Amino acid sequence: MTELLGAILPYITTILLFASIYAVFALGLNLEWGFTGLINFGHVAFFAIGAYTTVLLNISGCPLIISVIAGVALAGFFGFLLGIPTLRLREDYLAIVTIGFSEVVRSILLNEEWLTRGPFGVHGFDRPFQDAVPYQHYNTFLLILFVAILAIVYFALERLIQSPWGRVLKSIREDETVPSALGKNVFSYKLQSLIIGSAIAGLAGTMLAFYITYINPCTFKPIETFYAWIIVILGGTASNKGTIVGAIILWAFFSGTKFIDRIVPVPFESHQMGAFRMIVIGLLLMLLMMYKPEGIFGRKEELALSD
Amino acid sequence: MNILTARNLKKHFGGVKAVDGCSIDIESGTIVGLIGPNGAGKTTMFNLISGFERGSGEITFKGQRTDNLSPFKIARCGMVRTFQIPRALTKMSVLENLMLAPTMQRGERIWNVCLRRKKVLEQEQTIKEKSMGILEFFEIDDLRDEYAGALSGGQKKLLEMARAIAIDPSLMLLDEPFSGVNPTLSRKISGHIDELREGGMTFLIIEHDIPAVTKISDRIVVMNEGRVMTEGKPEEIKRRKDVLDVYLGGEG
Repeated sequence: MTELLGAILPYITTILLFASIYAVFALGLNLEWGFTGLINFGHVAFFAIGAYTTVLLNISGCPLIISVIAGVALAGFFGFLLGIPTLRLREDYLAIVTIGFSEVVRSILLNEEWLTRGPFGVHGFDRPFQDAVPYQHYNTFLLILFVAILAIVYFALERLIQSPWGRVLKSIREDETVPSALGKNVFSYKLQSLIIGSAIAGLAGTMLAFYITYINPCTFKPIETFYAWIIVILGGTASNKGTIVGAIILWAFFSGTKFIDRIVPVPFESHQMGAFRMIVIGLLLMLLMMYKPEGIFGRKEELALSD
Repeated sequence: MNILTARNLKKHFGGVKAVDGCSIDIESGTIVGLIGPNGAGKTTMFNLISGFERGSGEITFKGQRTDNLSPFKIARCGMVRTFQIPRALTKMSVLENLMLAPTMQRGERIWNVCLRRKKVLEQEQTIKEKSMGILEFFEIDDLRDEYAGALSGGQKKLLEMARAIAIDPSLMLLDEPFSGVNPTLSRKISGHIDELREGGMTFLIIEHDIPAVTKISDRIVVMNEGRVMTEGKPEEIKRRKDVLDVYLGGEG
């Protein structure tokens, strides 16, 4: 029994570590899309900026905590820079510009070797409290740390969205003409939402780097953005609780399907299994969306409302 | 004293001269009706005055030039408008729709939410009580917790007016407040407008329901083809044959 537990526990720890990182990542998107209605298809750019800034500063001798703060701040700052020219665009154009931006960031990571070390990536940076925590317990420690970070981000966001500030964001999502007719500076609120969402993504990027200990430009492909979208939609758009649950489900799907060939005999070679898993994940998501289109914590009655 | 003066407003869309040299004065504390056939440029006038569209000409509101300000700044000066098709914030409750409105709320600033929680909550309580008062005035207080998107067309009209009043405007621009509303509700809305005017509010009302708008207005402005055709007291306008012709599209 203890043997079995010993085999399963690290496995569950891995799922929860990834889930907590991606939950933080997707909470940033949920603020932008779920509460403000901004279609950001370039969320991964801020994930990358946060991760790269932190580790690059750290390996050049900067203390870890300052590197993390800089990573988060720089991700937020890039949100600000991207927001100024784009937030006046209509929603679908914003989507196009943001996805382009994320690819530009990845190209820079790949090609500006003097700064980012190019395709070889970065490793050998510090991890938080790595000397204080014994190696065999490090992942458990990291999980506790990440859950604590997730909790802080969650409660901070909940407080924000339940405030009058959050009410203005929601009104922008519903129909931005109304808040501007009522004297709210819509552009400024969109910008604030994008800055905070991006800073949160940056924090998630830092967490990812600490866990996987090695990052390269391939870690930050556009698909990462869409994992965040899947998480938000799965959990129920505009529900932070749903976003956390969505992240756990997505990673349970990812990891759970690894062993599918042991349960159901499938006629695939091991190298084909990866693709097969994606099919299974897609199918599971489709079923969920068919039978619960509002997401897990979404409100069904909202789907029926009209303007 | 004029609360609003617009001089020589123009707005062209390609070859279409939606508003073509329109001037209008609105005296403080009065109700002015803006009528005219479809395409006369009434809604474009509203858009120009409230800043949602840019054209040329001069607009002075409470002694301040507003023709270069963005809509939210104009709203903060105390001018609010409603829309022809009511814009309810669908997935927000009726009460939330109202509580959104007051300008310069402390809790709208992110650092106040983080650092001055108590003061924000205090103000929130005041805003809530005030919003409930307005909902009671419009007799839709029993709908406070409903989604705004679940309301009927008439209720949405009332909600839109209620929300506009919640910012304490000195001038309200109402775009067809009586259209698609049953006679009872229409009388009720007239009553509310009258009562608010008694309290010192000024109104500019676009309306196609001529009997309703002439009954309530102190002055009527008739627009046609982007220009002010005539203006005067409701009784005079009702007798004018050329106004009738414009509406019926005939030569008389």
